[in-house]
Amino acid sequence: MDIKVEKINDVVLVVLAGELNMDNSNALREVFKKSLKEANKKVLVDFEKLSFIDSSGIATLIEMFQNLGKISGRLCLCNVNKKIIGVFEITKVHKLFGIFASREEALKNI
Amino acid sequence: MSPLTTTTIIDEKIPSRLNLVSGFIAAVVRKLENLKLAEEVVFDLKLCLHEALVNAVKHGNKHHEHLTVHVLIKADHHQLLMEVTDQGEGFDAAAIPNPTADENIMASHGRGIHLIKSMMDKVTFLNDGRTVRMLKVFKGGS
Repeated sequence: MDIKVEKINDVVLVVLAGELNMDNSNALREVFKKSLKEANKKVLVDFEKLSFIDSSGIATLIEMFQNLGKISGRLCLCNVNKKIIGVFEITKVHKLFGIFASREEALKNI
Repeated sequence: MSPLTTTTIIDEKIPSRLNLVSGFIAAVVRKLENLKLAEEVVFDLKLCLHEALVNAVKHGNKHHEHLTVHVLIKADHHQLLMEVTDQGEGFDAAAIPNPTADENIMASHGRGIHLIKSMMDKVTFLNDGRTVRMLKVFKGGS
């Protein structure tokens, strides 16, 4: 998986490409830890180029959701494909995150 | 599944190492390409095999490398069967908490079996939980 991070105003944008799974969820966790350390409250994860997620990837997102909650922050996702949305719905975690159809819409509403 | 028309796609034992799981699954997915399945079906099979293998290595064989995980995958024109068997102590699948319950929604683990049960058409635990048998029925030409 490839991870790119940039800051857009007060939002940390994390762009993922490839597959988020047990092999690389720690790399994403490290990106999230760094963002928390810098006290960023708004994190947007762009899933446009992400084709697969497993339960460890879901757990990593939930961990970040909880950590952001502690500082009144927000975790949003955008460009999530239909299959991954299906995985979120099966596990009911879609209720936790703000999920937006596009990056622009997410940046406006986060 | 008719034994006359069934093709064995995989019948392999792999060591209990998590770093082998992704590569093994990538090889399985390449073999599935011959079946010309819908992309959505391949996604389901891949995720369920991934979760079953990780469970077998972590919770079944408890990472003991001398123990293996047996993966058997068979298919015919109508359905595909995956069996993942570990050499551990077994477990009671019915005792696994529902990860979608409000009190478990934030849990850091425990979603794998729920995903498998939701994405496959029939899931059976055999051999005191050491084997998970997962059946996917192809619909509408997938």
